[in-house]
Amino acid sequence: MSKFEQERQSVVSFSLMGPESGAPCLVDSDGGKITRIRPYRYDKEYTDAHCNPWKMEAFGKTFSALDHVPITPFGLGYKSRVYSPNRVRYPLKRVDWDPAGERNPQNRGRSGYVRISWDEAARICADELVRMRDTYGPEAVLCQSDMHGEGKNVAPSHGCPNRLMSLMGGYTLQMRNMDSWEGWYWGAKHVWGCEPVGEQTPQANLYPDIAKHAELLLFWGCDPETTPLGFGMYMPSRLCYWFAEIGIKSVYICPDLNYGAAVHADKWIPVLPNTDAALQLAIAWMWLTEGTYEKEYIAEHTYGFEKFVDYVMGGEDGIPKTPAWASEKCGVPEWTIKALARDWAKKVTSILHGNGGCFIRGPYASEPARLEVMLLGMRGLGKPGVHQAKMIEWNMWAKDYPIPYTGEFLPQVPHVGDPLRPVDGDVPEEINMRRFVLNPEQAKRAPELIDLFKRLPAPKQFIPRCLIHRAILDGKAEWYGMHVFSTSQIPKANNVRVPTTRFQFEKKVYPRPGLSKVHMMWSSAPCQTTCWNDGNLTVKCMRDPSIETIVVQHPWMENDCYLADIILPVCTKHELNDLGNDLSSGSFQSVYLEEPCCEPVGESVSDFEACARVAAKLGPEYYRAYTGGDLSEEEKVRLFYRASGCEERMSWDEFRRRKVFVVPCKADAQEVPAGLFNFYKDPGSNPLTTPTGLLEYSSSDIERNMPDDPERPPVPHWIEKSESHDERISSERAKTYPLLCVSNHGRWRTHAQCDDIVWNREVETMKIRARDGYQYEPLWLHATEAEKRGIAHGDIVKVYNERGVVLCGAYVTERLIPGACYVDHGSRYDPIIPGVLDRGGAINLITPTSMTSKNATGMAVSGFLVEVEKVQDEEMEGWKRDYPEAFARRIDPDAGVCLEGWLIEEGLTEEGGGGK
Amino acid sequence: MTKVFVIDVARCNGCYNCQLACKDEHAGNDWTPYARPQPMTGHFWAKVDEHVRGTIPKVKVHYMARLCNHCEKAACMDSCGSGAIFRREDGLVLIDPEKCTGCGTCRTACPYDVIYYNDALNICQKCTGCAHLLDHGSKLPRCVEACSTGAMRFGEESELTDDVEGASVLMPETGLHPRVFYRNIPGQFIAGTLYDPTEKEVIIGAKCRLNSGAKVWETTTDNYGDFWFKDLPVGVFDLVLVAPGFETKPFYRLKTSGCVNLGDIPLKKNK
Repeated sequence: MSKFEQERQSVVSFSLMGPESGAPCLVDSDGGKITRIRPYRYDKEYTDAHCNPWKMEAFGKTFSALDHVPITPFGLGYKSRVYSPNRVRYPLKRVDWDPAGERNPQNRGRSGYVRISWDEAARICADELVRMRDTYGPEAVLCQSDMHGEGKNVAPSHGCPNRLMSLMGGYTLQMRNMDSWEGWYWGAKHVWGCEPVGEQTPQANLYPDIAKHAELLLFWGCDPETTPLGFGMYMPSRLCYWFAEIGIKSVYICPDLNYGAAVHADKWIPVLPNTDAALQLAIAWMWLTEGTYEKEYIAEHTYGFEKFVDYVMGGEDGIPKTPAWASEKCGVPEWTIKALARDWAKKVTSILHGNGGCFIRGPYASEPARLEVMLLGMRGLGKPGVHQAKMIEWNMWAKDYPIPYTGEFLPQVPHVGDPLRPVDGDVPEEINMRRFVLNPEQAKRAPELIDLFKRLPAPKQFIPRCLIHRAILDGKAEWYGMHVFSTSQIPKANNVRVPTTRFQFEKKVYPRPGLSKVHMMWSSAPCQTTCWNDGNLTVKCMRDPSIETIVVQHPWMENDCYLADIILPVCTKHELNDLGNDLSSGSFQSVYLEEPCCEPVGESVSDFEACARVAAKLGPEYYRAYTGGDLSEEEKVRLFYRASGCEERMSWDEFRRRKVFVVPCKADAQEVPAGLFNFYKDPGSNPLTTPTGLLEYSSSDIERNMPDDPERPPVPHWIEKSESHDERISSERAKTYPLLCVSNHGRWRTHAQCDDIVWNREVETMKIRARDGYQYEPLWLHATEAEKRGIAHGDIVKVYNERGVVLCGAYVTERLIPGACYVDHGSRYDPIIPGVLDRGGAINLITPTSMTSKNATGMAVSGFLVEVEKVQDEEMEGWKRDYPEAFARRIDPDAGVCLEGWLIEEGLTEEGGGGK
Repeated sequence: MTKVFVIDVARCNGCYNCQLACKDEHAGNDWTPYARPQPMTGHFWAKVDEHVRGTIPKVKVHYMARLCNHCEKAACMDSCGSGAIFRREDGLVLIDPEKCTGCGTCRTACPYDVIYYNDALNICQKCTGCAHLLDHGSKLPRCVEACSTGAMRFGEESELTDDVEGASVLMPETGLHPRVFYRNIPGQFIAGTLYDPTEKEVIIGAKCRLNSGAKVWETTTDNYGDFWFKDLPVGVFDLVLVAPGFETKPFYRLKTSGCVNLGDIPLKKNK
């Protein structure tokens, strides 16, 4: 065989979401090494007659399913990630952590690692679990195992530690807060229900409807070229081109000319970060003043409108929310605010979102999110062309998609992990996590799997992820709601207790009476420092003497790994057998057979196997309970296929030959009414899930439960400053920290994932190589702000506030409003002074500590005050002098921080350590 | 029988897939005799350039994918002293890695800056059109296959006549007849927003007249008071803004060496 014909072609999916696998890619390999990764073509094995490609039509033009997967830079560059110099190749132990002696928690983030054998690593982990249970009770172990991560099902990225810890009699669960949906979840739900997360549901057929009826699209803090990439593909991008072709205008309202605006915007309205609420209130003022809103609709569809009017017009506080009032706060000229209000009033308009970023993750994000729904209500929400439509997560509420993409049937691929267990006593077990159990249909099809999916005891204690650091450092915490991560309820949303706003008034505490505080952390999602709120506080918490042991299992040496005591090496999905499922890429749903493209790197094993090795050390009965039988990975794949329901449509042998089963599109998918059309037509018969069934301009739930909350009052307000946050340009703090920092989801990363793809790092918007050769995370600054500070493009700069200092590379641009700076979140942590100074550009290290607001358990990680300064040579030399060990760590010239930088000499040899 | 590339700049979303796919194919992979491995970083046989034009808030971005033009009259080929550069029957121009001495003459001769020096191997390297794939069953080079929007095409010139028709090439003045064609490379723009500083309102429907001396362009301000003159040549222009009830506002000798954002322009009310 010539080298031009590859020995092996595997199908491996690509998704960075976690549970779901995303769209298939073709991976060629030869001699046990990956050669290339290419987009899968549906016509490789299937004809249109089988696939029944969906299409939508408007104004004589057609948009239809693609014949191939529009691959993203992450999928394309994944070879670089599999073979990254950052891979954890064998088990590691922090050199000055001795479970039998000194643990040196104060050195976490500073001391290096030595290679140990799997045998030793598994024994230490098992011994620590037992010691915790016997000393404090099993709740002393915090399990941090929620998404995101590689999409895997048989041996998933997350959920395996939960399985293991259930066997110890319990654990403390890290409950993921509703990140990237903060404002919608804690705010918009109070207006329109729209469970589970408060973005518009249903999304059914929104895009065909928008194509036919909408004249104007507002991309409000939405970047369709960025956020969809880690979960879906480039379908949203192509959709935007189509909207332009059929004559729909796109206006982007955001502080930055984001990557979508860069190529799709007809108009860009720059707004100061996290000031959207002021702009929205002025638009409402315009419509109320000029009488240009849907009065009949308001009369029939809303509750509390008069209270809203009272606030907007200034009755309540003596301040009419005029365009002049708003302009000072949001930086949009008064005339442009009026023009936007009038254009919107004239045109059938939908608002588009891609989650995250500048609009929805700021302090008091509940307020702009609520106001947006109210503005849509004033335009007749639900009528043809008037919607809030999503450019991401088309799979999330799987019954109906915004594109006519629904398959003939929904393949039910099981998922063996259980990362977000319902907590004992809070939520009846049967209502949550339907996707992570074997449902009766699946069990009937593949009874051999029943043991594997046997329910393990639920945890009795939890802490929301955004409160972990404070809970540990203070030894206690209390909060409202947040005992269900709501998306986990899909796709069987009909069977569950809907997480309505009522959840948000239930008070929770840590520790629970009689249960231990946390003394050990175990993470399969080690990105708290770079992805969550106040990462520097996380560093402090992980160095706290009360935390005796930290275990991380992960494929890459990055972020929280440097604070761990034991690191277990995990494979990437390209090294494993799995059954993949694509519910999100936009052309077709599919199920595919994933086979290893290469040998596991080093001594890495799957997440499932890593925990199994620890279970084995606990004893044979633990091992049996953990593994649920002795099925091999290949046998599980075979049974998962049977359980998925696909086998009734395609035999296993044929599937093995074709490797991909494309689910044909449902012929009548477009007949489902678009969005909230039924509510628009007849709100009485089709009520929303709010207490009144109506759009609530004053939340009746908040009126009843928390009427005096100044940070989330019944009617949404512009909150200049309050107990939780003081992050406005009017603040005293702004004299020292005058810039509002925007932090979006990364263009070249998915949260913390893929920061080490060497080819992406050559793109200037991904990393900037400064004079010292280090590739810094770009910090965008408008030319005028850069000039004021003597900063030139490519300079090393420090961005800082009271919470710490982060180094970046200056990206001087016209693509950002003056008064702001911009750093994408998720860059890999590279501590110079742990908890204080970072070279890696991990901007979340200095994001606010406080939650979205005092009763809204979200995080505020964009729209906060900072200052930016050029780093002078003397300053850098001073750091090098004072912290030589940080600068001595090896940095790969192309991949950045890497394993070798954290190894100390004796661990470097491949021969060291031992076998299993 | 010659192959051409066609790139529609208006349809490029800047995903960089072409640049990245090229690296996935060639970096670390040895396709001798077509090409030896590309270094892991630093070479851009397909390269995306980002162009940001204008000033806030009138900012436009476009991306230009650049690769070897596989010129009909390839200057590199003529310059090569060791006979290493040759054109295949399908028109693709290749550097034979066995014959190349790494002297770099071709890099000087090529006006498009698309040939790279590989110092580890001491050879010059560039885009091969993924000839090694085309010769073994693939229809498309990796960059084109990975294009996320269909902005990039590749095929027989005879089959892409509609795409090639009216397309341009980079630096046609070189006379080298590139085989990479571009559509919709944007020209310069002049833009601004009209408003009434007393009423604090945008001015909609104002007549905007742009004159280069040789040609006149006309437009009116939109619902946001904005006017845009797009795809202008580089030159010198006079602009007159006329709105009923307001004093006429002229701008003289606007130069489009770059794009021009005149910002928010206040118009005085007629006395």
